[in-house]
Amino acid sequence: MIRFEQVSKVYPGGQKALSDVSFHLQRGEMAFLTGHSGAGKSTLLKLITVIERANAGRVSINGHDIAKIKRSDVPFLRRDIGMIFQNHHLLMDRSVFDNVALPLVIEGFSHNEIKKRVLASLDMVGLYGKERHNPIMLSGGEQQRVGIARAIVNKPPLLLADEPTGNLDPKLSMDILRLFETFNDAGTTVLIATHDLGLIARMKYRTLTLKQGRVLGGEELSSHVNVPAQ
Amino acid sequence: MTQQPQLNRSKLPLSGRIVMFFIRHIQHAMASMGELWRNPLSSLMTMAVLGVSLSLPAALQVLVKNAETVTASWNSAAEISLFINEGRSERTIQSLITRIETYPEVSDVNYINRDQALEEFQSLSGFGEALAYLDENPLPAVVTVTPSLKYSSPAGARQLLGKLEQEAEVSFGRLDIEWLERLQAVVKLLERTVLAIAALLVLAVVLVIGNTIRLAIMNRRTEIEVMKLVGATEAFIQRPFLYTGIWYGVIGGILAWMIINLLVWYLDGALAELLGLYGSQLQMQALTFTELGQLVALASFLGWLGSYLSVRQHLRAIEPS
Repeated sequence: MIRFEQVSKVYPGGQKALSDVSFHLQRGEMAFLTGHSGAGKSTLLKLITVIERANAGRVSINGHDIAKIKRSDVPFLRRDIGMIFQNHHLLMDRSVFDNVALPLVIEGFSHNEIKKRVLASLDMVGLYGKERHNPIMLSGGEQQRVGIARAIVNKPPLLLADEPTGNLDPKLSMDILRLFETFNDAGTTVLIATHDLGLIARMKYRTLTLKQGRVLGGEELSSHVNVPAQ
Repeated sequence: MTQQPQLNRSKLPLSGRIVMFFIRHIQHAMASMGELWRNPLSSLMTMAVLGVSLSLPAALQVLVKNAETVTASWNSAAEISLFINEGRSERTIQSLITRIETYPEVSDVNYINRDQALEEFQSLSGFGEALAYLDENPLPAVVTVTPSLKYSSPAGARQLLGKLEQEAEVSFGRLDIEWLERLQAVVKLLERTVLAIAALLVLAVVLVIGNTIRLAIMNRRTEIEVMKLVGATEAFIQRPFLYTGIWYGVIGGILAWMIINLLVWYLDGALAELLGLYGSQLQMQALTFTELGQLVALASFLGWLGSYLSVRQHLRAIEPS
């Protein structure tokens, strides 16, 4: 699903963010991406979502070589990736319903279809009945779940989460991770970037550790990953 | 992985996509209208600026249009006077008149014989008494020729005059067109000025709309970022802005039309008085509904153009980070 081959990224200022990163996340897999801040987690996620492009090496998402994707085709690639952000990136002047509906509106679904899917998605994250609220009226954990509902509403094959438990207490964090597990059980590939090592330790998923732009033990770890049958 | 699989552009069937395309357009158009409605003060200011900017070229257009009707009525008044050689019999003159009447360039011919000419001169000049002392009528017979519409322009009338002077009976002809030529030059200058000013104001309209849309884009920066992150195409993101530009143009155009008609109504009384002094029955013409349509169409095109230029420049610059 995600394949990095000797990928390097240097920002225009000369700051080296990733060097020679290689790993392969298979379809249906769930994995963590860890490392200190500044280790290159965000850069790696940005390369996957084509917010940034690699200077060297090759990034393939869902079988598409990113380097060959035209600028005008980037939106269509992003529709296959559900993204969850630490700061939620919600539209505060719109209702929860409108926020979650956004990817469907963009894809041009009919009103009835949108309603059905948004409510199902909110139900899945436990926010059913709050669709008329504004995100500003919700707690941090609830806002995060609005973001998750938006990420899964168009059933993307790949889910990326950047510090999804960043500001949450351990109980809520665990709930969110359980939620990701259910999506993973349904066949979605999940990659979660987090620095919450305690959380990772309690779960048995593959972990990619970034240190100063390099992957530590990425390939060895893949030997004892639990890959669901495809 | 040597072969690049095709990107899945849409999960919807073609028919659904076509239907949704139109529904989205209507929704976006309505949503943009609603957006303007929600911020009536700031949008009204912009629209007022557009209305005033558009009303100036439109007012000049009204001016030119009215000047044209006035000069057109003067044009047709252009007359050629032919003075007949002395000693020609009535019969030769009559045959000359019949000949001239067959000219395709001529619409009307009038004959003033020597006696009539004298009578007219006596009554108009005030030298009536003095003329009585003359033994003989000194005035020649005159044939006045009105050129047809096609030959009523100064150049055409002059050409006709040259042709008429070839006639043996004609001593010489006179065409008083110098003033007409001057008038036409003034009208031409006026038209040019109008065109130049109109072009400048049209540019102003495009810039005003472009700037307004730029501010709107800046205001919705986060929203645009989020939309780009969840896979919105640029066409999708820019559509509401383009519709906003079009609405600005439409309403600005209607405002301009209203301003013009108010202006005409205000000026009409004064103009009627002025024209009355010159013995003219002309009435000032305002903009018709067809012209309203043209004005609004032009304004909405300008609105679209202004916002398109702005959107092209600024939307690309906003990328999620």
